[in-house]
This record gives sequence, C-alpha cells and structure tokens, in this order.
Amino acid sequence: MRSNIAAFAACLCLTPLSAQADRSLSEYRYFRSLSVDLQGRIPSVDDVAAFEDSKFDTDAWIDARLAGTAYAQRVRQIYMDLLRLEVPSTFGFVRSMAVLRRNEILRADGSTVYVYFRNGQRRQNVATDGTFCLAQADTGQMYPRIGPAVGTAKGISDAALNAATVLVKPWWLYRDYTAANPTDRYDATTWATKYPQFRPVDTVLVEKNGQPTTSVRICKEEAQTPVTGTVYKTGRTSNTTPADRLVPLPGDTAFARDSGGKAIACGSDTAAFYAADCGCGPGLERCHPGNANNNDPAAFVLPTRSPLGFEAPFDATNAQQSQWSRFWWSEEAKHFIDSVVLEDRDFRDLLTGREDWVNGPIAHFYKQIQGATCCDNGVYFGLTEQKPLFDTTAVPSDLLPHDTTAWRAVADRGNLASGILTMPVFLTKYGSRRARAHVLYNAFLCKQFVAESVELTPSTEPDLTKRSGCSTCHSTLEPLSAYFARVRESDWLYLPESNFPTVETKMCNKTSLNITCRSFYDPAFSSESGAKLYGAYSSAENTAAGPKGMGEYIVKHPDYASCVVNQVASSLLGRALNEDDKARKDSWASDLVSSGYRMRSLVRSIVKSDAYRTSNNLSSSEWRGDAQ
Amino acid sequence: MNTRRSLLQFLGGSLAASFVPWRALADGTVATSEDFFIFIHASGGWDVMLSTDPRNTRTGLIEPPSTGNMTKTGIRLWTDAPLGDGTSSFQPVQPKGSNIVFGPAIGNMANYASRMTLFNGLAMNTVSHPDGTIFAATGRHLAGGRVPASSVDTIIASELGTSQLLPVVSIRFPSYAIDGIDPRAIPLKVDSIGAIGRVLTRSTKYSSAASRDAVTLMLSEEARDLAKEAFYPEPQQNFGLQLDALRGILAGNLKDAFTDATLKAKYPSFSYTGNSQSVGAINSAFALEAMQRNILRCASFTFSGFDTHTTNYDDHAASQQDMFDTIAEFIKQLDTIPHPTKTGKKLADHTHVLIISEFCRTPQINILGGRDHYPNNSAIIVSPKFKGNTVIGSSDKDQLLPVASRAFASGTRAPAPPDILSTLLSSAGIEPSTFVRDGEVMKEVLV
Amino acid sequence: MRNTIACSFFFAVLIESGCTKTPEPTKAVAVSGKVEDLPGHESLRVDNSHKEGPRTLSAESYIRSYLFLFGGLSPIDSQTALRGSGATVDTTLFDTWSDYLGALGMPDYREDIARSSQTNALMIAAFERIGVALCDRAAEHDLKNGATPATVFTFKKTAALPTRAEFDERFDGLHRRFLGYPAKLAPTDRSSRFFTLLTNASGATTDPTIRLTGQDAGWTAVCYGLIRHPEFHLY
Repeated sequence: MRSNIAAFAACLCLTPLSAQADRSLSEYRYFRSLSVDLQGRIPSVDDVAAFEDSKFDTDAWIDARLAGTAYAQRVRQIYMDLLRLEVPSTFGFVRSMAVLRRNEILRADGSTVYVYFRNGQRRQNVATDGTFCLAQADTGQMYPRIGPAVGTAKGISDAALNAATVLVKPWWLYRDYTAANPTDRYDATTWATKYPQFRPVDTVLVEKNGQPTTSVRICKEEAQTPVTGTVYKTGRTSNTTPADRLVPLPGDTAFARDSGGKAIACGSDTAAFYAADCGCGPGLERCHPGNANNNDPAAFVLPTRSPLGFEAPFDATNAQQSQWSRFWWSEEAKHFIDSVVLEDRDFRDLLTGREDWVNGPIAHFYKQIQGATCCDNGVYFGLTEQKPLFDTTAVPSDLLPHDTTAWRAVADRGNLASGILTMPVFLTKYGSRRARAHVLYNAFLCKQFVAESVELTPSTEPDLTKRSGCSTCHSTLEPLSAYFARVRESDWLYLPESNFPTVETKMCNKTSLNITCRSFYDPAFSSESGAKLYGAYSSAENTAAGPKGMGEYIVKHPDYASCVVNQVASSLLGRALNEDDKARKDSWASDLVSSGYRMRSLVRSIVKSDAYRTSNNLSSSEWRGDAQ
Repeated sequence: MNTRRSLLQFLGGSLAASFVPWRALADGTVATSEDFFIFIHASGGWDVMLSTDPRNTRTGLIEPPSTGNMTKTGIRLWTDAPLGDGTSSFQPVQPKGSNIVFGPAIGNMANYASRMTLFNGLAMNTVSHPDGTIFAATGRHLAGGRVPASSVDTIIASELGTSQLLPVVSIRFPSYAIDGIDPRAIPLKVDSIGAIGRVLTRSTKYSSAASRDAVTLMLSEEARDLAKEAFYPEPQQNFGLQLDALRGILAGNLKDAFTDATLKAKYPSFSYTGNSQSVGAINSAFALEAMQRNILRCASFTFSGFDTHTTNYDDHAASQQDMFDTIAEFIKQLDTIPHPTKTGKKLADHTHVLIISEFCRTPQINILGGRDHYPNNSAIIVSPKFKGNTVIGSSDKDQLLPVASRAFASGTRAPAPPDILSTLLSSAGIEPSTFVRDGEVMKEVLV
Repeated sequence: MRNTIACSFFFAVLIESGCTKTPEPTKAVAVSGKVEDLPGHESLRVDNSHKEGPRTLSAESYIRSYLFLFGGLSPIDSQTALRGSGATVDTTLFDTWSDYLGALGMPDYREDIARSSQTNALMIAAFERIGVALCDRAAEHDLKNGATPATVFTFKKTAALPTRAEFDERFDGLHRRFLGYPAKLAPTDRSSRFFTLLTNASGATTDPTIRLTGQDAGWTAVCYGLIRHPEFHLY
C-alpha cells in the first residue's frame, strides 16, 4: 500500500503523459475524471487499455471528446441545473383553437362513434354555435363545456351525422396527411424506431369497437382548411342559453359588431371565437388530438423523465395534449444548448443568437400552433394575428410533426429572436417578467436579488424602484424586467409597439381604464393623459429593446465572462470557486473572451489546469510517505 | 475545501481524522433525544389571507378573497360576508376560547388552535421562490445563488438524530447539509415514500443478506482506509458512515412498512383520494409509522400547488384546506399513538411540527385573476414545548406588510424566519447561534 | 489554491514554533520564505501539491456508466433485462428506473428539485439495489449459463476456487472495468480484501433457493464490491 502511495506522490512531478507507458494512479484518476466529464461515463476497458499505450496522446484524446455529444451534454447539464428548463404540468397550455376534444355519439344502428370538436367553435347553426356540432334534436343529449353529455342518448341518423360531420385522415395518424388520400398510417412497431417518442395514446388509435382508427369523424367547421376566414356577426346582442343547450349561445362582442365580415387569420385563438369558417387546417394540423371532452385530454404517450435525452427515456405514460408541447419546448432548448456547445459557436448565442435547431414537433408548433395564444382583448388594439418571436417563414417546410429525431438548423429566426430568451420553454417556465429577469441575472451574472434585513414599511408608492425597502432589489430588477414588457406573461405572445404603444393615449387613460385596457395597461401607472404598458414603467428604453436587449445587456456585462467561468469551472471541479481561485478564474475568463467565447476553449483550459489535472487528495504525511 | 478544514487538516490533530459534530466540540456529549420533528413546506407561497392572517374587507391595497375571485365551494368554514357588490368574502373563524382568528381555509387545523403558536407578519425580504424557500428553511438568504447554511431539519437530525436509522427523511423539502453536519444526517432525499421501500427491497434469489452485508462491511473498511490518507477525507468518511447506516437500515427490514399500500391500510383516516394534497397524506402516514418504530428523528415534506398567479387561484383555498386537514389528521393521530419509548406518553407529547412557506401572496388580485409574490409570511408551530393559542407578530391593516411589533435585542422589528428557527432549536436544546447566524430566541413562546 | 492554503498554514505553524523557541530561524524564514532554510528541515519535502477532494458521480453519469457496463442497453431495455417483462416480471431484483431517480440525486427540473451532490444512506442503498441487479444478471448470464459474449465476467472461470494468483489476474480485469485502473495500484489492501470476500461468499451459501452458488457467488460478491465501491461513485 505504501509503495503505491509513494508512486502516487512521485507522479506529481508530471511529465507529458504520452511519454509514459506505466501510468501512475494519479494519471489513471485524471483519465477517469476526463472520461466522466467528457464521455459522460466511466472509462471502458478499451479506453483504459488505449490510455496505457505509450503512444496515447491525452491532448488529442481530450480534443476528440470535445467534439462529442457527451461533452455538450455535460455543459448543458450545468445550465439546465441553473435554468431548469422543463415546464411543470401546472402550466396548462390549453387553447381552444389548438385542442380537439371528442364526444361519444350513439348511431341509429346502435354503434358508437367518436366525434371530434373544438370548445367554443363558432358555427352558423344557432343550435350548435359556440358548442358541440350535434344538437339535442339529433342525439337526445346536451353537451357541457367539460364532461360527458347529459340526457338519454338516441341513435343519430346517418344523414344527420353526415350533415354535421366529416371524416378526415389527421396528421397524428398519417405521415402523408397532406396527400389527397393518405395511406402511410401510424404503425407502432416501425414508427417507434423511425420516429421515437411519436406515439398517440391507444384510445386515439382505436375505435370504441376495438377496430383501428383509420380516419376521425369531426365537426365540419373544424375540418375546414382556409388560412383566412371572416369575422362572424350574428346580430345577437347578448349571450343566452336556449333550453336545448347547456352552453350559452354567443352574442356579438363589440369587436364582432365592428368587424363583422372582415377577414381574420385562421391561425389564432381569436379566429376560433370569431370565425365560423376557420378550422383545424389540412390534416387537422392546427389542432392536437384529445381522447375526451375535458380541458386537457390525453393525446400522446411521453416519458415523464428523460435525463439522458428523449431518445433514451426511462418510462412512457399517457400524457395530456399540453404535455406534448411542453415536452418539445424543453427539447428545443436542450438541443439549442447542445448545438451551441457542440458546434463551438459563440457561447453568447445562448442568450442572443437568432439561430435555432428544430425537429418535426417543434417545427409543427411554430408553423401551426404558436398562434394559438393570440389575441384575446388584443383585437381591440388591432391585434388579430400574432407577430411571432419565431418567424414562421423561417421554419423548414419539409419537416413533418413525426420527425422527432430530424433536427434542422434555422439560421435566422427573425429579428425578435434572442437565444433561449424567446423560446416558449423559457417564457412559460418563468411566467412573469421579473422571474425571467431574475433567473438570467442569477444564472449568467452570478448575482442574486437579496435584501437581507431591509425593513419594509407601508407605502402607497407604486414604483418599486423608489419604494422604501423594495428599491434595494427592484431598482435593478424592474428595468431588467422591462425588457420583457412586450412579451405577455406566461406566454410568448409579442405585443408590437404599433398595436401597444408604451404609453397608450387613444383608448386608455386613468378614467377610461376598462377591462380591455387593463388587459395590457397598468392602472398604477396611468394618468389622465394615457396609460403605461405593464412592466414598462421603469424603462421605456428597455421595453423597446425587448428580450434581445436583455440578452445584449447580459453578454456585455463585465461579470458575464467570469460568471460563465464560475458556473462551468465549479461544476467540473465539484466545488465553489473562492478567493483563492481568483488568478485561475481570471485566466480562464481571459481565455474565454480571447477565444471568442468558445466553450470548448474554456473546458479544455479547465480540464488541463493544475486544479483539475494535477491535484491530489493526499494528506501531507501520506504525500511525504511519513506514515510508512 | 475551506480554510477551517484546511487548518484542522494541517494541524494533523485527531479532529481531522473523523467528523466531529458541533455538539461534541462544545461539551463532549453524545447527542440523543426521544423527540420527533416534522417540517412541512407549503410550496409556492400561500395566501395567508385565507387562513393564518385573514382579511375579509377591502381596505387599502387589500382585495380580500371573495366569491368574485375564487371558488368557495367545498370550503367548509366559509360563511359569506357580503362585500356590497354582489360578491362575498368570508366571516372570520375564531374557535371557541381561542385568541387566534383564522380564515376559512384553515380547515380542521382550527380544532388545534389551543396548541398552535402562530407567527404572522414575518419579514421575508424576498419574493423569489428559491430565496424565500431557503430563507424559511435555513434562516439565511441565498448567497451568490448558493445555499449558505444548513436547513433546520438537517441541523436537528445531525445534533439529535444520528442514533436513528433514518435521522432525516426529506421528501421534496428544501433540506441542505452545509457545514458542521454529521454525514449520517445528510438528508435522505426521495421523490416519494414508496421509493424508500423500493430502494430497500433486496432479492433473495441470487445472494443472501449475509453475503451482501459482508460486502458492505468490506466497503466500509475500504472507505475508511481511503479517508485516512486523504487531505479532504470527508467524502470517503461520509461514504463509510453511510454504508454503516445502510447496514442498520437493511437489518431493520423496513421495505414492507413503507409502501403506499401498507401505509394506506394502516392509517386509513387520511384522505388519499379526491384530495389535492393526497401525497402529503402518504408522507404523513410514513412519518407516523417511522416514529412509532422509533427509527426517525425528522421528517420533512412538501405540500404543493400554492403558486397561483392566474385563475388557478380559484382552487387555492381548497388546496390550503386539504393541507391543513391532512396536518390536523396527523396531529389527531399523534394524540392517540403511544410513544415508542416513553411509557404512558403519546407521540404528541414529544413531537414538534413546523409549517412554513416561502412567502405569502399579494393582497391585490393581478390581471390574470391570481395573486403574485409578497414579502410577508406566516409560520405555525405545534409543539408541547411551545405555548399554544399564541400569536406573535402581525401585518398592517392596509397593505399586509410585516409590522415592527416585537422588541428584539437589535431593536423593535418584525419577526423573521431566523427567529423562529432559533427558537425551535433552542427548545430542542440546541444552541441556535451555532447554526443560525441572525436569529434571536423568542422566549415568551416557550413553555 | 488548496496547495497555497496548505503551504501557508505550514509556514505559519513553523514560524510560530520558531518564534517561541529560537528567534533566529524566524528571521531567516522571514527573509528566505523557504522551509528548507529552517534548521533541521533541510531535507524535508514540502507538500505544495495542489489538493482537490473527490466529487460525487452525477446521477446521469452513474446511469450512463451502468448502462455501458450492461452492454449499452437503453434505460428501458436494461429495465426489461433486469426485471423481465410480461408474465416473467420480477420486481424483487429491480423496480423501474423512475423509482430510483430521486434517491440517486437526479434533479427534477419540472418540479424545481435540485441535484443532490452529497451521498447519503439512501443513495448508498440505491447504489446497492441497482448494482446488485447488474451483477446478479451478469453472473447468471456470464458465469452460470456461460453465455457469450460475456458482459462483465469476461475471464475464464477456474475449475476450482481460484488460487490467489488466479484471483489476482481475474480481479485486475474487473478492477479495471469498474474502477479504471490496475488493482495493484489501489491505495488499500484491496486484492486481499476482495479475495477474502470471494472465498467467504463462495462457501457461504447453502440455501438451495439461491441461484448463484460456489465460485459464481464469490465472483458476484466481488462484482457487488466493485460497483458499490467508494472509488466508483467518487471521482
């Protein structure tokens, strides 16, 4: 044992590794550390054998690993630990436009059929406008917003069923769903390999009678495919609930009265509420499937945990339709971080880059689904169609929703895009403007908003940058939050200046701050002359700069480089850096900057440093061999 | 890794050779206790206006909980108090003979007002989830994003619980072991109670328990030998001690006791279904079982779902009521179950419960129909060493902010989490200043 | 950093002791700053090596390593291999990966549960639970059934219990596989300990319901010891 210690100690005077055939314990341990950090696992027997070869070139081995995915995942792990970019199920992405529910309908022949529909879909038939497309007169039942039908079912005639519904071969069943007659239907065996993690729940794949679903029956309005519809004006002045319905018959809103007959884009939630001629599009691609009439029905089978990557899940469970979106939002961010690291791009791109990488589900989301949160009361400010943070024209056109492993680079997402800051996963994980600013401030500048023992006293000052006690943190936080004033909270909906001036003077002021104005403008910062956009009060400049302004602020901050070093080095060394690491840290930060903020250069420097490479854990007496 | 440790190492004294708990450094005693400690975190930030610090009128900034902003259905103690605009807030709940006034979401915990020490108007000085959570559990704010001090459950486990097989079991609670913590008291963190049983299951088809135990024993020796020569011996020392602890845990044959099915069958009075906090019910049942078996010192767990910024505030009262009902049932069980070692005593005579959250919610309703983060808070202690029917601290009438209401050594100020943690540690016989930098013991609440 | 601290204290103590006994060397130290200039310390080697303590293998690295040892199976496939499937499911050996992730310290980003970077007794229990499953299945496949290619026990079994020399040769292969270096460099009396373990485990089991007996049981115990070893989990 002692001889081993001596050998260990002697090796501390390291000569270049490649010159040694007989490795010392410290060299083996160094190699093991390199393998764990750069290969993601302990070294194999073959790795160890190669390492023992006298021609083994450690530097070349490191460089080869720094071109591998395991290294990228190691860096990603550091930032995922900091940012935790997975959205909890408490964030329900449930927008009427994008969710198909279904009711079970009794047919005249005694069989049952599922009929898909959207909640709140507008229809020109007053018996069904704003609710399910089959009326009590046809089915004997009434349909609530949520839950099973009420009343005794009577078999619907084929004529009545066909008058209100149609058969469609949807995207979740057919890869060639845009074809005139799709034939390439989901196959559990082959698709599991070709399109891993694309798996509809069994109840969506099989009919009530146990037969495979080859097409879905859907209300005719939902099956429509136009990209533009017209605002439906009914002439009804208020909502009423006729005796044969459970859901009120919608009356015209002020917007419908003013805009009736005008064109409206079908790719928004607004269209579902205002147009009777907007549907789910070709192959129902604007909608997610659902296996019941509830708020967030099950749709796909997904892993609950996949820390080794979505291709290597730990389990598979039936998931709500909203989980499909949340799952792929997270994968987008993970892949983005991996790609920035793996391609050794400027690491500042993580916060400022306009590029992205998308696979089929993400491309599908950006092309077809992201507009679903637009526009609510924004219509009164002229916003009837989203101005997307990810320019839909930049989305690769050949990716299909099933292409889970086909990742494509998108060189430019558009001038609103800024690294992870404009990705849905970030904007929903951190729903509020302040939460967004806070986590970035912490993860990328290594700073924390902590007030310690400040005493808060009651005050009517709404400006937290001035209010006693609050100002300690908020004098910094509020201007940073303002960068996100133009991205609605818990959403990715961008609020353009043209629709939402920072100070609104035409419609909203202190005395006319109705619910429409209050949807976007802050009563606390309104005056008789106008109202101020939520979150904008502390900095009009930052509000105008938007998320990309936040990205620029952080990467230009003097603490940015040292914070990157701090986060990466402390993870690789397994301990917090402290004052004694100052020279080392400064050197690494300098290297990072001079390399053009390349992560590969930084990690290479760290794993070759004395702290990582030549350290030992021997007590001084053991080191000297005193204990012998 | 730090200066203190380096000094001890270099001096080469016996201190460096093995872990030395603070208590032993101070008085040379071996810590022991026959008490149990339960720590509960209402994760997300609760609305104190609904339960511990009720508000039912529009005053100043306050928009009280009402039928206009939430659902009262199912809230058993809710009695309408009209606000004059067609909506109603609630009538305050004041149990007979109690000094404490509650909101209706307190549920069955109102029955235990006489044993409850309620802290209101806590100065949190943060509206950040991680910071508030850490502050409530450790008494310190985050420092550079890092947790600077150990959490209270871990401190107590280290000082009083190392003789137990399970010094502290932490189920998604913010438990941290930072410094001066016995390695055996590093929190046993799990996602769920059922996972404990599954982790402790051992197959008998391939090897015998004795054979596996021999391996564990040998590895413990290996760990100690590795530690002997190490400059930083703690990781290997800890590994060795934890291997020793594992031998005890496996010998206790606990796997069957801690499955969901076993716990539900043994403690059927908890509400395990149709309840937003059913996980908390299982965790409570686990704690009862582990205390009965006298293998636990601390259990810490979380009730979740209180971060209600949007229309999900609608269910906030129900979530709180479910949590408080579960805790009330837990206390009811403590009253009936005999203490494992104290003849004639019940568990309740030696069990101390602390309920915390990271902050409270704004007195105003936000644009999305919910309530945001607010730097005020409440905490509850139910302990035989604390005076029941007692309220310490308050919040101001118009803005729900902490009021400087108590004379501390440093002057009159609002109480804060470090004061509560210090008082709790003091009641357990642990010198609080060793672990909690800023707190002051509030002696008036101690029996 | 740590070497700096260590050396600083080293000097500090030397200076202090020098001051109390003989003033002159103190001056000398103050001038030269070299410990070897102290009388009686001319030949003393000073430990100015950089010190870093070991880190705990992350849960991800642990699982990747485990899967690698198991022949590169995916998590779900390894789960099936360990516990069987359909009618043959046997959860006494392995439950599901998801059951162990929390105990292994895996963060849960969705629920904002942080990574655990310190070992604890339950984590050690999970290491045993999972490690034992690998060794049992591998021993059954490689040793008992003699199936090829072998996953872990790639050596040729001896006809009788191995001699110490035969053991050392085979143990070295396993040691490299699990701990990444030759057994002879181990800083403890490791080969002897594991040989004793093998010897005892080989002869200990008389229970007819236990599938692994004799030498197979001995090597399985060795496998347990390596995959649960502190050096496997700390790096």
